[in-house]
Amino acid sequence: MKVPWFIAAAFAAAFGANGAQAKPIAFANGTTTMVEHGAGTMAEAQLFYAPRYWFSVGAGYLALGSDIDDFDRRISYVRANLLAKRWNLPAAQANVFAWGGLGSATGTGFGRETAVNAGAQIDYETRRIYGSLRTDWHRGDSFAHRIDTVQLGVAPYAHDYDSLATWFVLQGRQYSNRLYDGVEWALLLRLFKGGTWVEAGVTQDGHPQVMMMFNF
Amino acid sequence: MKMIIRYLMLSALALAGIPAAAQTVAVEVNGLVCAFCAQGIEKTLRKFDAVEDVFVSLEHRTVAFALKDGAELSDVTVSDAIRNAGYSVVAVERSDETLEALERRVRATHTP
Repeated sequence: MKVPWFIAAAFAAAFGANGAQAKPIAFANGTTTMVEHGAGTMAEAQLFYAPRYWFSVGAGYLALGSDIDDFDRRISYVRANLLAKRWNLPAAQANVFAWGGLGSATGTGFGRETAVNAGAQIDYETRRIYGSLRTDWHRGDSFAHRIDTVQLGVAPYAHDYDSLATWFVLQGRQYSNRLYDGVEWALLLRLFKGGTWVEAGVTQDGHPQVMMMFNF
Repeated sequence: MKMIIRYLMLSALALAGIPAAAQTVAVEVNGLVCAFCAQGIEKTLRKFDAVEDVFVSLEHRTVAFALKDGAELSDVTVSDAIRNAGYSVVAVERSDETLEALERRVRATHTP
């Protein structure tokens, strides 16, 4: 089944992008480690192992700092990720992921407390365009935050396994409950080859955003 | 007797000089769009003792591997392995060309 380019583009535009994309499950029997500095509003580190291509389990750490008020949250968690659905097309792939976990959190105005997290991601990618929409929700007795991220990526050329992949990515991110006012937009340059991924860019506020991921 | 020994020696030399037919398996795969996909499939296939080397082309949606001399891997096993890595198998083909020759041939082909 061949997907016309305009349908793929419309899908990517509607749902964001994630092709050369960060997924909570890279491949079966694979380990994924990721660190991200999100423009000063968030920072996250994750380590997941996938015994199956549709399931991974691991742990992470998320730090949130309000851009509006002077508060922060530090959340440690264990999480299970599930690939709920995958479509393998001749020159494209689309996925629906869901995840959930449990952990503990500390932050401004409260001591250590139990925290839960849940989220989902839908993505579509070819070797030239990709889009993703992700929502990540963290909640404790004293706080609740949702981080919604949309990405749209375009590659200037189609990479192959043995060549460097280059992507230009537009990202919009919205934080709930006074972490950031409005949508935080960022332009990112994403490079990856083999199992190594490096991404860097800047937000509209001039803050740097950096992400690195390794799959092995 | 001398003739028999000479015949046996010549036969042995001749047989030693004939390379075993290389067997290469090429699989057309759907969903191959990024290096992580290729990495996962390569890792899966290299776990088989029968696999000598692996070649993956995202552009041509091809996963190919060379079998070690005398080794065998059925189409069903290959298809199951790739499906269990998360991808869809369209077709499995076998040939006697080397993996290098297959790689050259695939790379020379325009993207479908």
